[in-house]
Amino acid sequence: MNNGRYYGGCDVGSTTGKAVILGSEGIVGSSLIPSEIDPEITARHALEKACASVPGLEGIQGLSYLIGTGYGRNEVPFASENISEISCHAMGAFWCDPSIKTIVDIGGQDMKAIALADDGSVREFAMNDKCAAGTGRFFEAMSRIFRMDLDEFSKLSLSARKTIPVTAQCSVFAETEVISLLAKRNPPADIAAGIQNAVGKRCFTLLKRVGLKPHLTVTGGCAKNQGLLMELRRLFQIDIAPMTVDPQLIGALGAAILASRKK
Amino acid sequence: MEKIKPGLSDYLEFNKYRAINLMHIGRMAAKRGPFDLHRDLKRYPWLLDLLKVNSLLQRLVKGRSGNYRTAVAMVLGGVVDGVIELLEGIFYRSDHLILHEDLLPPEIFRAMGLQPWVPELLGILLPMIVPDSMQKYLDAAENEGIPPDICSLPRATIGMAMKNAFPPPLAVVSSNLPCDGGMSSYTVIAQQTKKPAYWVDVPFDFKSERALNYFAGELKAMIAWLEEHTPGKMDWDRLKEICDKRNVMAELELDIWDMIRQRPAPMAAEAVWMSHLWFFNVNPGYDTSIQLLADLKSLTEENLATGISAVSHEKYRALLWNPPTLHYVDLLVLAERTYGVSLILDSMSFNRQPFIDTSSTDSMLKSLGSIIMQGPMARHTRGPAEMNYFPDIFHMVKHFDLNMVWVAGHIGCKNTQAMSGILQEKCRDAGIPLLVIDYDLMDSRITPKEGIQEQVGNFMENIMKARRLD
Repeated sequence: MNNGRYYGGCDVGSTTGKAVILGSEGIVGSSLIPSEIDPEITARHALEKACASVPGLEGIQGLSYLIGTGYGRNEVPFASENISEISCHAMGAFWCDPSIKTIVDIGGQDMKAIALADDGSVREFAMNDKCAAGTGRFFEAMSRIFRMDLDEFSKLSLSARKTIPVTAQCSVFAETEVISLLAKRNPPADIAAGIQNAVGKRCFTLLKRVGLKPHLTVTGGCAKNQGLLMELRRLFQIDIAPMTVDPQLIGALGAAILASRKK
Repeated sequence: MEKIKPGLSDYLEFNKYRAINLMHIGRMAAKRGPFDLHRDLKRYPWLLDLLKVNSLLQRLVKGRSGNYRTAVAMVLGGVVDGVIELLEGIFYRSDHLILHEDLLPPEIFRAMGLQPWVPELLGILLPMIVPDSMQKYLDAAENEGIPPDICSLPRATIGMAMKNAFPPPLAVVSSNLPCDGGMSSYTVIAQQTKKPAYWVDVPFDFKSERALNYFAGELKAMIAWLEEHTPGKMDWDRLKEICDKRNVMAELELDIWDMIRQRPAPMAAEAVWMSHLWFFNVNPGYDTSIQLLADLKSLTEENLATGISAVSHEKYRALLWNPPTLHYVDLLVLAERTYGVSLILDSMSFNRQPFIDTSSTDSMLKSLGSIIMQGPMARHTRGPAEMNYFPDIFHMVKHFDLNMVWVAGHIGCKNTQAMSGILQEKCRDAGIPLLVIDYDLMDSRITPKEGIQEQVGNFMENIMKARRLD
């Protein structure tokens, strides 16, 4: 990276927009905002916010190279290039910890399992982008049923005494099932453990397709869900490597790293 | 998208084949006359979709030029000619018409002087021309209680039978191949047509001599049954003539395959797979089929001699496993133009035993049986996979110097769905990039073409590290 040059990565997700600015000393700025309806506006707001946190950087125009990623990446006209979020998550996680070989990325509306090659590139991937079950949207819906915010809900299962299975495969039917379980006065923590277990099993299925190799990490917004992380550890019988950077920013970080390699 | 500007000669070639297709259609229309034609269109509404074949031609030649473009247009023109011949058969030789399953040798029916019609054929051809053309038949079958999770090809075929969309045959002939869905579709066809039906029992163990003898015996029994229930009489000399000519076709095809081993390949995609699909499965042993393959070989030779590749800037060479994505058949055009992917060969064309021993009647029947048992939809849906499925894939990857395997993961095919997971592990061990496209063969409502494009894009950009050419 050249001195005085800044590189940007912008991950336009379905739920949040993320931006990371890299300078010669590493990450110099970042942002995380709720997504707007228009992905271009999301990208602009996220980037402006991240750029504003970097002294001496004159807005988006000051970036030497900008890579857009995420589901809305094709709607970011001011990006120098667009790269799939699969490659960006792989690169971001690898940059944080080169020993990472497998990633589970759980975003707002999809879930991916990514296997990494030794150089941090993608060796294999599998994704579920057709079904809301096991995504951030699913957890949002669940937390609403429990009348909790996401943070509160993510910790609920930590105090569970047992796991009440949630068997419905579909998020709509799962919602009905959970309401029914609550109505029968089952302990909310035990039901929450069932929800985390159902999502964990979905992750496991995806991971099986790409081959699970240590070290494993979780990225995306759902990586902040402590109950889910605990369940994944239990199901996979493997530790989950923590990221040195906010796991929700990994895609944007990977994009920024790839941008910094464009001289 | 890579911008390829076809030259004047390309435009002229395109228009030549467009005119030829129209001429074939016009020939049939003129022969039928307005009254009969009107009645035919009412009786067989799918004819209207077939008539739109030039829209498929337009999609398939897009971005292609020179001999490659000519070859693709020529193959499609040959298919149109063949379809018209089949249609004329159902109009003018209905007293010899039989419906037969696609994994029975058409050579035998032709040699018996029968007019064969493969019910699955429309389910294969129509979605290529009009992507949503089979949806009404799929829905019709489901509305009658056919489970929605059986393969959409037999399901659509059942729907067509229920809507009385097939010409009335004298008899129905089927087998226990390739799958339960396929078998059940012929039960419905036989019930709907109220015609006598015969099922050939194809042995499971396709590798042994005993199995071959058994299959040959089954074919003999089928011939005897057909002679009893139809005006067809077996002419063994005629069968030998057809088989000899089919052998000529196989030689020509093998010559083409030998040439496409070269990097970059002088011929690709539809010129390779569609020519096999139609001419070997529907019109084997025809003089027109031999001529077309000879012309295809000449075009390939010319490209090879002058160092012209089919796909300009060929960067990747792919193997397509399973039938092509019928409702989005121009996927290969997109892959060529967007990433420089050249589809070299496919599993439906590949057969390790393409020749027929014509030294005796028994040897012919055994060879025809072998072609079927060692061919797609039979060999690969019978285990053990370690002995046929994986070795065939890895042989083709090595022999044709391929970079990757694309599996058209037709959601309705339980046999191959189960294999994809194991194939994933095998390819991982062998270091072969594998793309499994989740889609349905003919129902674009399951995965629309945009979904297929996204899967291909994700694979090419993340695994192959391909840069888009646009």
